[in-house]
Amino acid sequence: MWAMVVKEFRQLRRDKRTLAMMIVLPVMLLVIFGYAASFDVSKISALVIGPQAASYAKQLHSPFDPVRAVPGESVAQAKKDLQSGTVSIVFVADEHSIRALIDGADLFTARAAEAAIGRAASPRALLAQLLAAMPPGHVLLVPTASLPPKVQVLYNPGLKTDVVMVPGLAGVILVFIGTLIASLGVVRERQAGTLEQLAVMPLSPWDVLIGKIAPYFIVAALDLFIVLICGMLLFGVPMHGSVPLLMAGALLFLFVTLSIGVLISSVSQNQGQAIQLAMMTILPQILLSGLIFPLGSMAAGVRWIAYILPLTYFVEISRAVMLRGAPFADLLAPFGFLAALGAVSVTLATLRFRRLLSPSPLRARRAGARSLS
Amino acid sequence: MTDPLAACRDVTRRFGDHLAVDRVSLAVQPGEIVGLLGANGAGKTTLLRMLLGLLPVTAGEVRLFGEPPSRTTRRRIGYVPQGLGLYDDLTPLENLRFSQAVFRSPLGALPADLARETLPVGRLPLGTQRRVAFAQALAHRPDLLILDEPTSGVGPLVRARLWDVLRDASDGGAGVLVTTHYMEEAEECDRLVIMADGRVVAEGKLSDILRGERVAVVDAPDWPGALTALEEKGMTPALVGRTLRVVGSSPAEVEQALAGRECTVREAPATLEERFVQIASVGVSGAS
Repeated sequence: MWAMVVKEFRQLRRDKRTLAMMIVLPVMLLVIFGYAASFDVSKISALVIGPQAASYAKQLHSPFDPVRAVPGESVAQAKKDLQSGTVSIVFVADEHSIRALIDGADLFTARAAEAAIGRAASPRALLAQLLAAMPPGHVLLVPTASLPPKVQVLYNPGLKTDVVMVPGLAGVILVFIGTLIASLGVVRERQAGTLEQLAVMPLSPWDVLIGKIAPYFIVAALDLFIVLICGMLLFGVPMHGSVPLLMAGALLFLFVTLSIGVLISSVSQNQGQAIQLAMMTILPQILLSGLIFPLGSMAAGVRWIAYILPLTYFVEISRAVMLRGAPFADLLAPFGFLAALGAVSVTLATLRFRRLLSPSPLRARRAGARSLS
Repeated sequence: MTDPLAACRDVTRRFGDHLAVDRVSLAVQPGEIVGLLGANGAGKTTLLRMLLGLLPVTAGEVRLFGEPPSRTTRRRIGYVPQGLGLYDDLTPLENLRFSQAVFRSPLGALPADLARETLPVGRLPLGTQRRVAFAQALAHRPDLLILDEPTSGVGPLVRARLWDVLRDASDGGAGVLVTTHYMEEAEECDRLVIMADGRVVAEGKLSDILRGERVAVVDAPDWPGALTALEEKGMTPALVGRTLRVVGSSPAEVEQALAGRECTVREAPATLEERFVQIASVGVSGAS
């Protein structure tokens, strides 16, 4: 086994492009995804029309920016502005009422606009305005039970997307790097004709499997460390929980990912097939792991697919440990499922390697017995 | 009598409807070089792969060192596949180190020029690559060497050096099973097994295979005309320089076919290549 590990390391060291991809790409992906994969809308371009446009525009604050007041513009013209995308929201400020037209095609901006309007019109906001407008010395008695609760957001007080996304993105990057690169390992041996040589050497399937996984495991573990440090420094992702617990979850997840990669490699005849198969396992993980869309909002059938994807459990573990500071006792289920997926994938990979590397003795013996009988 | 190093008995291999190897039996004894001859597609490589345990047999029995192929038997085998099985991105020394670590054998001698080589194997000439593959296959002092067209594509000098290596190994007691389609290489073997269409069509020492077979040699000023005339009579003449050599026909038959033409016909011993062509063309019906 050690001979395989050393050989794989030597080959990886010489394969500068793959090595660079394994080291540089994760950081690059984290920075790009981290900044791009945000559902936070910080600016909403607004147009205010109608007789009260000028005064209402002055009352609008963040996230409505820039705000343009055009009292003389008609509703029909304003709708055209929405249609062309020059503005995301139009306020129609009549003499006695205000209504807002929102571009629903731009989903996240529309939801942010709706939430901002809702906050501005909440009973607490109105009460604050009323209190500010009251002359000094006057008292206003309001039953507190009739007011909506005062909200305190824990673990991600700013409700920032990147804080929630970065821990999961570390998993996505590891899935990409681990599955894709590991999936090419055995195929390369097959195409170079060295798989046959391995098959006549006194190596066990386990030797070859671990030999194939070990170097990528070490480099990907280094990737994970770099990605998490960058995530904390660049995006201010907190680490409220135990670092060893997070690393244990990440290494378990990495083992599962690499085992799947090697399994893919062992069933592929060429590199094109391996990449296609790898992508078929990567894309569902990104879409269905709960990283982007909540598991609870998925249809039951699709949710079951999510439950057999390793990234689902890593996203759960990384968010729980980093953001909520969850202890191991709270994470028994995701750790258990990840371990089960690891056991299944490594067993399948070992069986496949057994078939690849020692295909015939048993069947040869049976055939021999038949011929002798 | 001790078990042969490698033996197969009535081994058959089918790929769907295609019968690649048909009831082949052979054995390799210690210190013996057995040459497996045959045209492309004759079933040589399939037979080797079954012997090595890389491919299951459809019927028959394969034995290595008296037992079925297993991880234990692999320790005693040195194998050079057609594609050489070297890692192109590793140097010769790194390839050798990997092999020796797997076989847990002490670091064997690599020719000094190869040991010093800093380029990866993939950037070395083919002849050098083949020398590395030989050194790797021999490094753990195997009892049985299995080589699939090991000298294909190299010049005569390198080929001669590689055969010296094989001869040294067999002199040291190793059995060698080598496939080739170079007749001059086949003549180096202690015993030959000729395959055609998946079957053994001839087997034995070179002298047994040739068994005094003779050919008719024709010298004719108008050799193109003589060639056409012989072919028209259903004979299989081969052109060597400006001389025609006819396998499987007596000088009298050739003279009769060339009646009226200016030529001389004499008899000469058949070469292995001529005998091979004769056996292979006759096929199974001509098996000795």
